[in-house]
Amino acid sequence: MTTAAVRPLLQRPRAAAISGVCAAVAAHVSWSVPKVRFLAVVTTLCGGAGLLLYLWLWALVPLAPSHTDNRREVRRSVPIAMMLVISSGIAAVLVLLFALGAGQQGRSPALIVVALTSAAAVAWSLAVDRHDPSRGTRYGLVARGSSATIIIACSLSVWALQPSIINGLIATALIIAAVALLAAPRIVALWGDLIAERTARVREEHRAEVAAHLHDSVLQTLALIQNRAGVSTEIARIARAQERELREWLFEGDAAPTTDCVAEIRSIAAAIELDYPVRFDVVAAGELVEDAPVALVSATREAMLNAARHAGGEVSIYIESTAHVVDVFVRDRGPGVELDTLPADRLGIRESIIGRMTRAGGTATLRRGSGGVGTEVHLRIEEQA
Amino acid sequence: MNDPHTLDVVIVDDHSIFRSGLRADLDATVRVVGEAATVDEAVELIEKLRPAVVLLDVHLPGGAGGGGAEVLRRSSALMDSVRFLALSVSDAAEDVVGVIRAGARGYITKGSSGRDVSEAVVAVAGGDAVFSPKLAGFVLDAFGAVAGEQSESSDELDRLSGREREVMRYIARGYAYKEVASELYISVKTVETHVSAVLRKLQLSSRHELTVWATARKLL
Repeated sequence: MTTAAVRPLLQRPRAAAISGVCAAVAAHVSWSVPKVRFLAVVTTLCGGAGLLLYLWLWALVPLAPSHTDNRREVRRSVPIAMMLVISSGIAAVLVLLFALGAGQQGRSPALIVVALTSAAAVAWSLAVDRHDPSRGTRYGLVARGSSATIIIACSLSVWALQPSIINGLIATALIIAAVALLAAPRIVALWGDLIAERTARVREEHRAEVAAHLHDSVLQTLALIQNRAGVSTEIARIARAQERELREWLFEGDAAPTTDCVAEIRSIAAAIELDYPVRFDVVAAGELVEDAPVALVSATREAMLNAARHAGGEVSIYIESTAHVVDVFVRDRGPGVELDTLPADRLGIRESIIGRMTRAGGTATLRRGSGGVGTEVHLRIEEQA
Repeated sequence: MNDPHTLDVVIVDDHSIFRSGLRADLDATVRVVGEAATVDEAVELIEKLRPAVVLLDVHLPGGAGGGGAEVLRRSSALMDSVRFLALSVSDAAEDVVGVIRAGARGYITKGSSGRDVSEAVVAVAGGDAVFSPKLAGFVLDAFGAVAGEQSESSDELDRLSGREREVMRYIARGYAYKEVASELYISVKTVETHVSAVLRKLQLSSRHELTVWATARKLL
């Protein structure tokens, strides 16, 4: 009463004898497990009170937190299913003995015990052992198969030894039950699949609904924010990054992730937009370029970075690809550069763009935009076929 | 381009935030005379007001569920006096092609600034077509122009002429009509003629790729 020691939570362990109820209670009240088990048995003998309490606790005491994916996973050391099969077998032997004339009185109860224990073995194997990794599929098959065999053998022999209408009916019913027991795992599996499929469909529908809503309302608002704030502002940049993220999420399921150079350039654009007040308008036409030359993509990145650093604002990128030629245009509306007037130590354009493209067998040309506004970089690479 | 009088415009969009935002953003050359939020409202309002230009969202509730394209089809009797400019947050090919082929004179994304939208309204009202870089890229793709398909005369509907292709490529590269004109040493009017011709082809061509493209790909 005065102890303030923290009691362990009342929860069933993941590795148990049968259900973990006794172990849970023992840990909670800090008694030894055998003592609790003994008490359970004694109270069960007193009119079944212990059994009721046991079942009640089994139903209500939660499992300890799981460390694996299957949150119903419990390892049980006592092979309940096999024990049930064995009891069923013993009862079947009794049935045969009674049927052979040892005593007519005991035959029917023994037959009922056979049916009940076999059914319990199958139920245990399907419902409980399915979540136990230490019980393989073969174990389950053996348990269910032998239960069914015992029932069939038992009913057939009773019928054969004492042919009567009642026995015939009982035998037929038991055989049907046995077949049903064998088919049970199929049905359980099918049912599980059906539920899983329905859940997946509901989830997909829900996602589509959310996507439609977001597409209609949130994207619009983000577009509006960008408009009102102006391209180069911090707010527009945040809104644009958010829009991009949302679009990716919305259309994620629509297209397989590609590794073509357009997708690569788009993701570069997204990354640069986060760091600079710039907005890239990426337009592509032509065939998909699956493995674009690294030099082309890196030179494009360099050109985009230059545009972002020195020009900002709206930058247009146009990628045109045929089977043999890829053209990339990067066009900004900044102050513009003259290659001739650049100091010799400025390596950005000369090395990272022109040098790189030349070494890869392509060309890079730099020129003033139309009307002397901005700069346009044209990268071109031909595939060596 | 600078009309002395302002242009009457109706905004059709189901989001009031966007309508009011756009309304505040448009410059003095246009006057918003009405707003509609659904297909049925839009058809009725356009019939009643007969504005010079309708700014039309591609995705709209109501009607038979056809969105902006349905408004266009149901207003096709007015197509001579009322011009439609499609607006959308999405660049999905089927959306673009759907409204253009239903009769819209241009396509512009909702990310465009109020000034851009106003300019596009003026251009559309003057009978020109409005092409965004993405739409130009789409056209080049859909007509097989990148692969080098080219029509002999400019009459052929399923292909672009050499000049049209060049114009489309410049637009895709982000050039304004004026800049395209100076690059090609032609007048702005000629550029506009080429763009209108491409729009007509886009609307009337029965090229198989157009529909395939529209359903199979999305421009983002």
